[in-house]
Amino acid sequence: MNALKIAWFEYRRRIRSKWFIIGTFGMPILVLGISLGTGYMAGSGTGIETKLIGVIDETARYGQALSSALEVRYADREIKPLALTVTEGKYSTLQSQFDELVTDKSLDGYLVIPETFASNPQIRNYARSSTNFRLTEVIESELKDVLIHDKAAMLNLDSSSLSELFFEIDVAQYEIGGTEERNTEELVAEYIAPFIFMFLLFLGVFTGGQLLLRAVLEERSSRVIEVLLSTVSYNELMGGKILGLGMLGLTQSAIYLLGGLLAGNYYNLSVITPTIGLLYFVYFILGYLFYAGIYIGVGALFDSEQEAQQAIQIITFIAIIPMVLWTLVIENPNTTLVNVLTYIPPVTPFFMMIKIAVNETSIMQIILTITLMMASVYGSIRLSAKIFRTGILLYGKRITLPEIVRWIKA
Amino acid sequence: MIEIQHISKQYEGVKAVDDLSIEVHKGRIFGFLGPNGAGKTTAIRMLMNIIMPDSGTILFDGSTERPKASSVGYLPEERGLYQKISIFETLQYFAHLRNVRDADSKIRTYLHRFELGGRIHSKVSELSKGNQQKLQFLNTILHDPEYIILDEPFSGLDPVNQILLKEVLEEMKQAGKTIIFSSHQMDQVEKICDDVALINNGKLVTSGSLANVMGSQENKILQVRPVNEVDLTHGFFSEYQHEVKNGSIFIELGQKSKRSFIEELNQTIDIRSVSVADPGLEAIFIDLVKGSEA
Repeated sequence: MNALKIAWFEYRRRIRSKWFIIGTFGMPILVLGISLGTGYMAGSGTGIETKLIGVIDETARYGQALSSALEVRYADREIKPLALTVTEGKYSTLQSQFDELVTDKSLDGYLVIPETFASNPQIRNYARSSTNFRLTEVIESELKDVLIHDKAAMLNLDSSSLSELFFEIDVAQYEIGGTEERNTEELVAEYIAPFIFMFLLFLGVFTGGQLLLRAVLEERSSRVIEVLLSTVSYNELMGGKILGLGMLGLTQSAIYLLGGLLAGNYYNLSVITPTIGLLYFVYFILGYLFYAGIYIGVGALFDSEQEAQQAIQIITFIAIIPMVLWTLVIENPNTTLVNVLTYIPPVTPFFMMIKIAVNETSIMQIILTITLMMASVYGSIRLSAKIFRTGILLYGKRITLPEIVRWIKA
Repeated sequence: MIEIQHISKQYEGVKAVDDLSIEVHKGRIFGFLGPNGAGKTTAIRMLMNIIMPDSGTILFDGSTERPKASSVGYLPEERGLYQKISIFETLQYFAHLRNVRDADSKIRTYLHRFELGGRIHSKVSELSKGNQQKLQFLNTILHDPEYIILDEPFSGLDPVNQILLKEVLEEMKQAGKTIIFSSHQMDQVEKICDDVALINNGKLVTSGSLANVMGSQENKILQVRPVNEVDLTHGFFSEYQHEVKNGSIFIELGQKSKRSFIEELNQTIDIRSVSVADPGLEAIFIDLVKGSEA
């Protein structure tokens, strides 16, 4: 009963705090803002610098044609990533002049289109650094088009014949048994959704964990802990805190999922199914409880937040692995590596969430991972309870690892 | 009644409390004294069941079973309050945990008595140290506990609020509560306690009623009021440590007996009066602590 009272107190005072409101509603706005902002920047060319590339055109033909093709390619870009300055002539006579232009940074590099280009399509790129690598792919593609058109003209093929030869294949996407073609938005949403589920899980678990850590440190440093422990038991206190802040994380997740559901309905997308929603909460609870044990145990060991945060860094580092590997899991959900990762408790909920969202898991895997997480939660909470009980009242003392081991064994 | 029987607690090979036994009687105020680091807080935490003794027993009214949280009020040495919530919410939360009936009206009544009625919705962090101490004390007694355990309750309080606190403690004593408090402010202890115990290095040095403890020490300071002004550089006085206050000479006898000193003094100067000076609890405290360390 006391645990519930503590849980309600923790939940109530935090859900009303301006930081919870800012964090809950500000985070999606921030993520959306960053996505849209970077999208706009990429589209408009903001933040891109124009690479000035010289061209020594020994053919006296393809350099200019390439330059025109690039003009067309970047016609709608305010800042063009690439600008060419074409000089017709021989490499042997122009080399020193171009080398100098690169050395004094008037040019970022230069290309040589050899005389034999039409018969032997090879060009040379003299670059100051390898950062222009992506741009040479653009040059390669445009130059190829120029050469194809040139050769077609030599073969007396008109442009309609040319389009008979060169075309793009449109792959229409259908669901199994579906009759309606799926639109691009739906496909993108389906690709991104697993990441979003995992990210929300990550956010909820670690926000809850951090709040738990701060709550323990606050009570420890203000000595409220002593008054509380004279009123309630250790288990009630720890349980109440874990429950209250877990409820806070669940509320936050529910808000996000509801928002996602409403947005999905509006755009006629159905990425949040009842099964995904249910399993999200199951893995959220298990993931949160697992980390709650760790955070509360660490909170009981340190006097200052700075020290505690340093100690917790290693855990955050492990937990960041799914954030790095999410594309791998979405694209290859059934590889041995991914399947092994789903059975490593600190990352199980996150990888499983992706696998569930891409519908590439089995009932057996879900049951096994849930069982594994339940056992891990039991271990984590049990160990942290022992640490909490002994460490929470030891102020101003640097606790060593052997001491912690002794408490756990006790 | 609280009976502490032979409790010990050891940390990393150091005995914080060593075979401590004391009795705290119902309807009396018990002063738990000792220098810093003597083991008072550790003993109180064991009493509160926050930490477990390595050995020994603590009985509440003859039972080893701990009283319910609602029958105990505990004020820790350092301020144990949430800083970012209001005074009212703080008291409400703890009242709720201790199942206090009619909590809201009780809170308002007490806050007015403690002159905090106008600040009911102020955050704890906005209060002065003294007001935080009052709030902390209020939080200790709001649920009308049977056992009241206070660790340094007077620290941070101005004289007016010290009087208020004493009044409340006196009322609780009249109501038959068992009250124990630790302090190193001897003047407060002298004014309010019925019984005292002194510990040093975790061990009990002395305990008993205040009158007995104060009378237990042979007082070796005499207060002499001479008829005429006395030359203190005279050979007789230079043999003793002495101090002049309000026309009296306070003389520390050392090894000398009172009888032979007075006889010699009578032959040296004209005496108006000689009395045994009241040493105060503080002097006794210092003597006992020094004695226990010797």
